[in-house]
Amino acid sequence: MKHPGARLRNRYAIVGVGQSEIGEVPGSTSLGLLTTAMKAAIEDAGLTNRDVDGLITRGPDDIYCHHQRMGQRLGIDASFSTSTDNGGASQILSVALACMAIDAGLCETVVTGFGRNTWSRKNQNDATRMRGNIVPQSQEENEFEPEFGYFGAPATHGFGARRHMALYGTTREHFGHIAVTFRDHASRNPCAQKREPLTLEQYLAARLIVDPFGLYDCSLVTDGAGALVITSAERARDLPQPPVYVAGFGFRNNLRGWFYDDHMVDTAAQQASRQAYAMAGLGPRDVDCAQIYDCFTYMVLTQLEDYGFCPKGEGGPFVASGALRLGGALPTNTSGGQLSEGHCEGMLQIVEAVHQVRRDRPPDRQVPDCEVALASGHGGNTVCHSSLLLQRTP
Amino acid sequence: MNETYLKPLPVPSEESRPFWDACRRHEFRLQRCAACQRYWFPPSNVCPECLSDQWEWALASGHGTVFSFVVFHRVYHPGFRDAVPYPVAIIALDEGPRFLSNVIDCPLDELRVGLPVEVVFDDVTDDCTLPKFRPVR
Repeated sequence: MKHPGARLRNRYAIVGVGQSEIGEVPGSTSLGLLTTAMKAAIEDAGLTNRDVDGLITRGPDDIYCHHQRMGQRLGIDASFSTSTDNGGASQILSVALACMAIDAGLCETVVTGFGRNTWSRKNQNDATRMRGNIVPQSQEENEFEPEFGYFGAPATHGFGARRHMALYGTTREHFGHIAVTFRDHASRNPCAQKREPLTLEQYLAARLIVDPFGLYDCSLVTDGAGALVITSAERARDLPQPPVYVAGFGFRNNLRGWFYDDHMVDTAAQQASRQAYAMAGLGPRDVDCAQIYDCFTYMVLTQLEDYGFCPKGEGGPFVASGALRLGGALPTNTSGGQLSEGHCEGMLQIVEAVHQVRRDRPPDRQVPDCEVALASGHGGNTVCHSSLLLQRTP
Repeated sequence: MNETYLKPLPVPSEESRPFWDACRRHEFRLQRCAACQRYWFPPSNVCPECLSDQWEWALASGHGTVFSFVVFHRVYHPGFRDAVPYPVAIIALDEGPRFLSNVIDCPLDELRVGLPVEVVFDDVTDDCTLPKFRPVR
């Protein structure tokens, strides 16, 4: 039976992408970086701000009614606008909301994006550096966490990694292959935050942060932004860039929590990916490259399983086979990912997927004949997941 | 009791205060539904299984197993400067809920997923007792 969402398959397209400077941008503001990225995306689409009547953003936590702030900066009164709150799953959610809003006749052309100045915020002073200040202090937990010395995202995801290791014999070397591969991809990307080569030996010798994670298991603390323009397939045909069609999307939010059931090993990506594949009429074998939400190495490994690229528990041998390399069976995070290119909460995953489907990357970064690209988003207290399949030929 | 306790202390909410008051009496209590008899954590004013608002803070066994654990090497708070490396574990309580705590009296190389543990109360200040877990001997 046809998936109900298949009605939207390939009817909407990403027609513009943009990004700001990515990395350490001292003194930057999240709003300023996102303004730069959105301006670039609108111009890439061959449009002006007057052509945009929809705006969907995810604010960095501490900014109320974030989309209003962006509309003000970009001179956009919107027919449809909102800010989302699904953490790293928000960016793909924004793409889906854009398609749905256009489909409902609420607007015609939507800009989405995410920007952050987390490196600058973290490095304000010694206290923010120690706290690893990536969430506003007002959102830190008051009980059941800090009194036991439980702080930060590495520990949260480390629980999942440890459990996967215990259940399936996964090793730190397996995680290391992911970090080393993505660093190699970043070394080819002049915009990446970390470009110096990384070996498996260096990975294993690096200091432990929260065991089982060492330094290179953890994504970067980044200043940066990315943005997209989405419109109908009909309008896309009149615009300068090759349309990148939204073939499918899917979501799953395991709101009962990361600690509940075995959510930390059988992640929400299982159900989200099934929805996206069904909507698109595609399967794992159709995917030419994957841009996976890599907040930590382990999250790549478990998602590869959950997306059906290998059976559950076999992610370790799969990544050790070299499958993720450019030229491998499933080139993954071909711009370096959040582990090496820069962490913009899944936004740069979509930007890279668009470039791969457009086939406009230089030869050493381009997946040949890329027809279908997958992007994933994960976050929102580690339980919200979003899947996006982009396609060149509708 | 330690006069110069430098680690963070829990800041109870109105919902969680009975849990912390019980800990001071060295009792490990969980919310338990009067309608379906199930336990839950973290606190909620209705049962997450059947949405009943009839429940009590019931005495729990304090027994469970290590569901997963990590070992902190990085210092995120000055109070833990001398504590690293220290373990933080998710305990799968026998009653069902999962509870985050520290495993104590256990060498790091003996800590493992599935390890049976029991609650032990750490009176860290005059006003605060933390429920921690140790291997069942």
